[in-house]
Amino acid sequence: MDLTLTPSAVPEKKSIWERLSATNWIGLVPFFAFIIFFLLLPSTNLLFKSFQDLNGNFTLNNYAVMQNPYVIKAYRVSLLVSVITSVVGGVFGFFVAYAITLGNTPKWMRNFLITFSGLAANFGGVPLAFSYIATLGRTGFITAILTSICYPVATGAQVCPFNPYDNGFNLYSVAGLVLAYTYFQFPLMVLTITPALEGLRKEWREASANLGASPWQYWRDVALPILSPSILGATLLLFGSAFGAYATAYALTGGSIYLITILISQQIRGDVLNNPYEGYALAVGMIVIMGITILAYTALQRRTSRWLKS
Amino acid sequence: MFSKRNTLFLVTILVTAAIVLTACGSAGGSVSNVDWNTMKSAEEGGGMEALVAAAKAEGELNVITLPRDWCNYGEAMDTFASKYGIKVNSLLPDGGSADEIQAIIDNKETKGPQAPDVIDVGPAYGPLAKEQGLIAPYKVETWSTIVGTNDPDGYYYVDYSGVMVLEVVTDYVDQVPTSYADLNNEIYKGKVALAGDPRASNQAAQSVYAAALANGGSLDDIQPGLEFFKGLNEKGILLPLIADSGPIGKGETPITFQWSWNAYANKDNFAGNPNIEVVYPTDVNWGGYYYQAVSAYAPHPAAARLWEEFLYSDEGQTLWVKGYCAPARLADLNARGVLSDELKAKLPDPALLAASIVPSGDQLKAARAAVKEQWDSVVGLDIK
Repeated sequence: MDLTLTPSAVPEKKSIWERLSATNWIGLVPFFAFIIFFLLLPSTNLLFKSFQDLNGNFTLNNYAVMQNPYVIKAYRVSLLVSVITSVVGGVFGFFVAYAITLGNTPKWMRNFLITFSGLAANFGGVPLAFSYIATLGRTGFITAILTSICYPVATGAQVCPFNPYDNGFNLYSVAGLVLAYTYFQFPLMVLTITPALEGLRKEWREASANLGASPWQYWRDVALPILSPSILGATLLLFGSAFGAYATAYALTGGSIYLITILISQQIRGDVLNNPYEGYALAVGMIVIMGITILAYTALQRRTSRWLKS
Repeated sequence: MFSKRNTLFLVTILVTAAIVLTACGSAGGSVSNVDWNTMKSAEEGGGMEALVAAAKAEGELNVITLPRDWCNYGEAMDTFASKYGIKVNSLLPDGGSADEIQAIIDNKETKGPQAPDVIDVGPAYGPLAKEQGLIAPYKVETWSTIVGTNDPDGYYYVDYSGVMVLEVVTDYVDQVPTSYADLNNEIYKGKVALAGDPRASNQAAQSVYAAALANGGSLDDIQPGLEFFKGLNEKGILLPLIADSGPIGKGETPITFQWSWNAYANKDNFAGNPNIEVVYPTDVNWGGYYYQAVSAYAPHPAAARLWEEFLYSDEGQTLWVKGYCAPARLADLNARGVLSDELKAKLPDPALLAASIVPSGDQLKAARAAVKEQWDSVVGLDIK
């Protein structure tokens, strides 16, 4: 056997100059320019300003705002709303994704839901809040339809028992907010978890069935351990999107659910509560929390790919 | 490690950025030698004609946070633009007073179309901007006829005023309330809303302040106002929604607290769909006003001053009246019979305006602090 390698078998070694050639990078220039101007510079600016007073001198006082009870509460409410909506949206989205990948739904259903998810995941803010107000508000379209359903009871009187507001429903509450957030949270879950579910190989299920495992045992011992990093990773993504959201909550609950993002906006541009520099400090606090979230997400992603590669 | 070519690219980008940024920063200088930035009146700079000439040479004016339907500012801007051939750049029409102050601070060093020349701010921001050296003193020719809490040196001056009213969508309210006290009734469940979060919106904060006086409080005691809204909230009467034209038009927030000029502008805009009734509450007659000022860092100092002259001329004042705002020179206009009866009818009763309660700057400051501290305990939901 001839073990000498012909020159052609050796991958052509490019010179370092060729690999660093500007033409390879030119496509990335707009991206880096964008990142520098709209992410790095503003964040750095934010960080510096959070340590400045009104006259530009160094100070740590802005961070003293973190001790205020209402600030602590705002962080706590933000975290809770994000956790609740990401779990609700996550569970809901997982079952939808399961149905269109492993379930026996027809192919067009899968295409329809993926397209819908792509659209809905990007719908948010005031338009989303207003569409809920217009449908499920007290004078909303669906509320009006439900209220108009009446029938006579035994005594002959007309009753209209379906007005949601007479049955304890209130759109302008935590439940309403979760409902509104779910609109963009569950499609985001569908989009992120579908590839992971598609990665579950049929052979694994068959193999465990051959070895006598029940479907429950298969899910508990095989599928879920493989999927759990993806599920957690996707849920973290939902958490991040809820944590940064602001306009929907403000338009829907007018400050009665006082998120940290609302507080920051009021500090920076409110007419009453106004101290931009404290706002910057609060924003840095959010960046720290988001940083931890993203680190956790990256770590979990790495674990997922390790499982799926083998 | 950079190749020469990469370095070249980097340099190109930086140079391009530098050129773009410098281009944005350049601004036309004044034709004459007068530095209008330091002129405290038109007379000082050589009279109105010199001011008009200098302003025309500048060619542009940057105004900020002026919605077109707020006090008829849309028509005022259009009239000014066509009268003097000066382009009016309207920045951030839906912003608030804090945005205006921040825009001056952010643009101290730059002179582009993003730097405001003039501001129109809530009462707390006049003294604040003066303290921070952000506004320049200027007295218009009609200065002596401006009525209100003006700065004696001309740093800031009252532009217009009105009273706090209830804006009621009659399509959704059977029995129109006539006072704050009326609202505390189960029949208004889920129907009453504020125009903003009182922690952020001047209009909403003043609604709470007004409610204090309707409920036994005083200008030094806003507590009863907070208690009043707490009660409304507990009974489900107060709807935690930001009542802007969307929810009002939908009928979702049928009863809201508004400055009279906003309520009437809404009524005009909706044109009967839905029907709006403006109610002057019988238990408190609460007045509100705004301040006008010229930026100390105005990129178009002459145009800024000409804008003030225009606003405080009979013509400008009349335009405000058309937008339901009672201008600061109203007494003078009425004394000389400038306004038609039709226009006069657009304003609240002069007696009502004159008698309206207005807090001092310090009282307002204390009231705001109380709102900031306590509003969360009034409406805040605690999520467990």
